[in-house]
Amino acid sequence: MNKIEAKNVDVYYGAKQALFDINMDIEANKVTALIGPSGCGKSTFLRCLNRMNDVIDICKVSGVVKINDYDINQKDTDVVRLREKVGMIFQKPNPFPKTIYENISYGPEIHGIAQSKSEMDNIVEESLRKAALWEEVKDRIHEPGTGLSGGQQQRLCIARTISIKPEVILMDEPCSALDPIATAQIEELIDELRKEHTIIIVTHSMSQAARVSQNTGFFHLGKLIEVGSTDKIFKNPTQQQTQDYITGRFG
Amino acid sequence: MNSVIFLTIVLLALSSYFFGRKKAILIQSNKRLTALPKFYGYYLAIWCGAPAFLLYALWSIFEPSIVRFFILSDYSSQGLLEGELNLFYEKVKSLSRNQYSGELTAELQRSAEKYLNFRDIAKWSKVVIVLSLLIASTGYAYTKISNNTKTREPVEIFLKGVFFLSSLAAILTTIGIIFSLLFQTIEFFQVIPLFDFVFGMHWYPAKAFVRDASEALDPSMYSDTFGAVPIFAGTFFIAFIAMCVAIPIGLLSGIYMAEYASKRLRQYAKPVIEILAGIPTVVYGFFAALTVGPFLKDLGLSLGLEVSAESALAAGGVMGIMIIPFISSLSDDVITSVPQNLRDGSYAMGATKSETIKRVIIPAALPGIVGSILLGVSRAIGETMIVVMASGLAANLTLNPLESTSTITAQIVVILIGDQQFGDPKTQAAFALGLSLFIVTLVLNIVALSVVKKYREKYE
Repeated sequence: MNKIEAKNVDVYYGAKQALFDINMDIEANKVTALIGPSGCGKSTFLRCLNRMNDVIDICKVSGVVKINDYDINQKDTDVVRLREKVGMIFQKPNPFPKTIYENISYGPEIHGIAQSKSEMDNIVEESLRKAALWEEVKDRIHEPGTGLSGGQQQRLCIARTISIKPEVILMDEPCSALDPIATAQIEELIDELRKEHTIIIVTHSMSQAARVSQNTGFFHLGKLIEVGSTDKIFKNPTQQQTQDYITGRFG
Repeated sequence: MNSVIFLTIVLLALSSYFFGRKKAILIQSNKRLTALPKFYGYYLAIWCGAPAFLLYALWSIFEPSIVRFFILSDYSSQGLLEGELNLFYEKVKSLSRNQYSGELTAELQRSAEKYLNFRDIAKWSKVVIVLSLLIASTGYAYTKISNNTKTREPVEIFLKGVFFLSSLAAILTTIGIIFSLLFQTIEFFQVIPLFDFVFGMHWYPAKAFVRDASEALDPSMYSDTFGAVPIFAGTFFIAFIAMCVAIPIGLLSGIYMAEYASKRLRQYAKPVIEILAGIPTVVYGFFAALTVGPFLKDLGLSLGLEVSAESALAAGGVMGIMIIPFISSLSDDVITSVPQNLRDGSYAMGATKSETIKRVIIPAALPGIVGSILLGVSRAIGETMIVVMASGLAANLTLNPLESTSTITAQIVVILIGDQQFGDPKTQAAFALGLSLFIVTLVLNIVALSVVKKYREKYE
């Protein structure tokens, strides 16, 4: 079943076109990796899926992006509800300058999810456990989240995102600021998370895409060149450009 | 004449730079230089300009007192008082300028001629000596560079010295000001007990006017005169009113500018707000005294309230308007410097803009905002002109914003305006007030700066 269907998506930054007629289907409860050289539009496409491009003044998006068969690019789409359902993890860990607890309770609070203090405590613990961070921070959840290491901060951001139980999690190069050990932890976590969430991950590392994803889309110069199962893309791509990129001939 | 000498030194130093550089290029054809040619130029220019300029400056400073010494040495045997000598010397000077209209005596005439004579000698000997020093030192430096000695190191040492002297001057003047405050204050507290000053409830320095200078100093007559409580209270009260205006408006406009305003609007609106900071406070003063004060009085009358034309409300309100741009601009800056990825993180959680501002951005920027507010407070406490013009000078102890009250700064103005008598408790009271003000603003600034610094460390 397709969780997300993008049809004829064009994106412009001012006069410059960043994405050209993207058509892509994303399967539920799978990890879809978006790969491609820098500036190819994969992050831009990712940001189309929760309307984060709205934040950028000069950015114009056209086309249809359906999530659960609902077009999110309509004028009257409730962006707050959309982002509650489609969470996002950023390239650089961005915990709020608050305690670990407050970082996670932020989402449930603004969406009115928890009714009581104990319910909130449960959400915080559950989210931290799912993000494989609970054991490391359980004694200091009232200390600032900014005091954690980079890898811990990124897992805190993941915990923060899953605290409101989004259906889709978008990850924009979540490991690019992390060391190999922290990266391995996050990758393990991604595989765990896909049981409950649909995950789309932008990555620069082809080996990471091969390790964590089931499906892969290859972007180049704002166009989606090829999309398919990760196995097929990496072992038997149909497009010459994909072949060249995978084998490291450019990019 | 002075400007001619000065200009000559500057021009000669400039041309010796080019001369030195050219010389270095000549040397270069035979030998390896010890530094780039421009350092040879700097070296020669410094040796040409610096000693001559130093001598010129010292001469200009000491010339008047040396001339005075020579003129008055004729009369030192007559046993005149210092004041009489001063008067005589002033007469001599005005006679030499043909501005004297008093009684002419032979002594005066002779001294005036001698004075003119000395001035002439001094003038020409200054020219000759300064220029010959210039030539000597330039010659010395020229032989040095001809021998291809090190030039870069002396130039660097000279520049280091210039920087050092500049900072020394800044520090010494600060220390000097603090000590002059301190000494006068100590003298003041020898007459007026510290306790009376800090806890006294009546401030009425005009009482001290009454004293005849020839009368002996009687501390008891100052009891109940220098009680600073009403003016401390007035200072904080007016500052409080000012902050009640400045904090909400400044902060909200800062948030608007940083988060909501479009780039275009910000581009035009921000300078407009900052223009407010460029208005001289005296202008705010008459705005408060002539526009806001009477307006409040009329408004009060129509509501059946008794409002003084010089009310604390008018002064504090206008002072608040004056401080708005500080708080607005500083908090705009700290909010803008909150990293964009925190905003993105919050939006991606489905937070609205106002939730993001309230729950993520303001907490992140809070230390910087607090710092900007504290800087605003220390400005409010130190502000003088608005209070002098708009809030009156009577030190009432009141918490009614519709009455007039006075502040530390306004009282210092009252005390030191016009003729003052040094060594008088009334004058020294100004120093005691100044010192108290200095301590309060110093503490506020230290706290504000340390808070702002802490904030900086967080994101850099």
